[in-house]
Amino acid sequence: MITLDNIGKSFGGKWAVRRLSITINDGEVFGLLGPNAAGKTTIIKMMTGLLRPTEGKILIRGYDIVKEPMKAKSIIGYVPDKAFFYEKLTGREFLLFIASIHGLGKMEALSRIEELINTFGIKDIENELIESYSQGMRQRLLFASSLIHNPEVLIIDEPFVGIDPSGMRRLKGVIKDLSSEGTIIFLATHSLHIAEELCNRVGVIDKGSLIALKNRDEIRGIEGGLEGLFDEVVYLTP
Amino acid sequence: MKSSILLLRPRLLSFKNSINKGVILRRLPFIIIGIIFWVLFYIGTYKVLSYVRGIDFFGELISKKLLSMTFFSLTGFLILSNIITAISSFYLSRDIPFLLSIPLEIGDIFNVKSVETIMNSSWMVISFIPPVFIAYGVSYEAPLSYYIFAAATFIPFIFITAGIGILIAHLLTRMFPAKRLRDVLLAIGLLLFLGLYFFLRSITPLDTGTPEGFINSIMTFRIDSPILPGYWITEVIFPVLKNKALDYLHIALLLSNSAFFLMISALIGVRLYRGNLERIQPAGKGFNKGLLQDFYPNYKSAILWKDTKIFFRDTGQWSQLFIIGALMMVYVYNFKTIPVKAISGLSPYIKELMVLINMVMTGLVLSAVSARFLYSSVSLEGEAFWIIRTSPVVLKRFLWSKFLYGSIPVSIVIVVLVLITNIVMNVTGLLMFISVGTALMLCISISGLGTGLGAMYPKFKYDNIASVSMSPGGMAFMLIAFTVVLLTVLLEAWPVYLYHRATLIGRNMNMLEKVQSVLCAGLIVIINILAFYLPMRIGIKRLEKD
Repeated sequence: MITLDNIGKSFGGKWAVRRLSITINDGEVFGLLGPNAAGKTTIIKMMTGLLRPTEGKILIRGYDIVKEPMKAKSIIGYVPDKAFFYEKLTGREFLLFIASIHGLGKMEALSRIEELINTFGIKDIENELIESYSQGMRQRLLFASSLIHNPEVLIIDEPFVGIDPSGMRRLKGVIKDLSSEGTIIFLATHSLHIAEELCNRVGVIDKGSLIALKNRDEIRGIEGGLEGLFDEVVYLTP
Repeated sequence: MKSSILLLRPRLLSFKNSINKGVILRRLPFIIIGIIFWVLFYIGTYKVLSYVRGIDFFGELISKKLLSMTFFSLTGFLILSNIITAISSFYLSRDIPFLLSIPLEIGDIFNVKSVETIMNSSWMVISFIPPVFIAYGVSYEAPLSYYIFAAATFIPFIFITAGIGILIAHLLTRMFPAKRLRDVLLAIGLLLFLGLYFFLRSITPLDTGTPEGFINSIMTFRIDSPILPGYWITEVIFPVLKNKALDYLHIALLLSNSAFFLMISALIGVRLYRGNLERIQPAGKGFNKGLLQDFYPNYKSAILWKDTKIFFRDTGQWSQLFIIGALMMVYVYNFKTIPVKAISGLSPYIKELMVLINMVMTGLVLSAVSARFLYSSVSLEGEAFWIIRTSPVVLKRFLWSKFLYGSIPVSIVIVVLVLITNIVMNVTGLLMFISVGTALMLCISISGLGTGLGAMYPKFKYDNIASVSMSPGGMAFMLIAFTVVLLTVLLEAWPVYLYHRATLIGRNMNMLEKVQSVLCAGLIVIINILAFYLPMRIGIKRLEKD
């Protein structure tokens, strides 16, 4: 379970996120939606330990991300929206590096890398420097690296940037499989159709506050589905 | 031209927007350190000049020779700096794809990159040359026109070196067909090595056996060639300094050559630029994985393994090594040519003095090398630092990895340097032991200082890692590091002097001398521990922040 308990983040006195509380259950795919600059990336950065909440607390399967960051980070897989890599490593070397900083043994790391390279279709380029990868291949590598240590929680910021239809199909399959195995998936996206297809529940935020929280059945009951909900709470609310 | 000016606008606006009260306050310590260094540099130059001008018969000649040697060295330094900066600026900058995608003439991009290269490669020299000009002006009681002339003639001097440097950078990138820029930089290193070798051969003093021979040899240093810009600027400035008539020939030479070299670099550079850009694109296929490809690092050594691997593949990281390597060669060569025998009659402590000077000079090299290897090591993570921050990596361990990454090669280089120079000077026994021990201790403390300060002031967004060590923070680190070296050597000099004095008069050190020696040793240890520990500790805290 992930618990965001009344969290807030202010930058120089200006609140980017305020009084936000959400609980996400094991095996749930939770979608976070919102217009640009609503605070989605700030929330994700707090959940991954990149930023510290100004108020409230975040528990990742019982571990407080501020007080027990190592334990929390060791069970999180993170896919950022803008990923920077070590450009002078090959894809395979990058995966080896990520495996080793997560403390995986050599045999376990090698078999896991082999599995992920095949799953994400990067076998052909595994020994090329990352600097020569296309945007889509980088995204695939990013997903592979985020899953190398079998995380219990996968946090994804804009999951399908630059990915081709075949890659997208693979990724959706991976997300569904992980969810069925009990992994918590937290994804922030602008793609409403992807959120509608993958998420069990969605939260809509605007100006740093949660303005709607609906499950799949509730969304189906709204005229226009998720798009209708989004229009209603974001654009039509004064 | 209009487009070129327009392209410079974002840079000027970014600079303007980055200047605010907070930034100035944050950089205040660096500004103060810079001013202190500036003043000390002025005082040092003035004192040396006063001493030199006081020498009978040769005073004025040596004074002019010193100015000429300064400009000669600056010519070499600026050309090399322009070559390296031009390669980064024209071929490795992140804004190149954007600039090529907008409807601009290649000439406009070229102009903007040329301005960027000149600014980035010359700012340090422009910042630190005024104390030299002022010291000369004050010493000669020069009129106001001297200062105006000195500043005005320095601009074409900068342009000449920039024109030559930019031109060489484009030609080298064209000459080497390999797609990797590494080969180009290797060629620069080779050219530099050969150039220095032949230069040193040409100026080797003929006679170092006697003081007279040594002075004669200095006077015959062949740097006053009338085809060098360093000579022209000396010939322009010196008459004004002494309130004599202007040397119009050399003014004309400076102006015409600055225009010529800028034009020729633009004419040839523009023709080569587009083609060169296509040649250096990443090759992708067939990458050679190199040695130890099956090595799997454990949790503790993963970051060190990653950094070492990237270091050998990233040309931007080791291009500065050529300059450092060349400086070290010159350094060792200088010690080899010092006529220890000829000057040993001046003082019974001459060997000790030489060892201490060696320590101070090695400290200077240590500060410069550490700025590149240790101060920049945290920033080296660049925008990929999110990987470390979101992984279960203890930041203390991360910083220690960075410390080891830089301190091991730096310590090896510096200790070997001290050993070689000591051997060249026939230093043995206790002096050898003390100097090598001190060098090792300084390597550790300065490495900690560099790693810690680098973590306190990281710069994760950069075009070229070399810019991190040349930033105000990097310069401040070098100055602080050199201060630690200076304090350590000065505190060490006193007990060495006391011990040697006692030995010379055939007695053991008395109680007071022993107490002073122990106090000095204690202070040395405290200074070095603080230099290591405080920045490392504060650096870890800083990295743990948002």
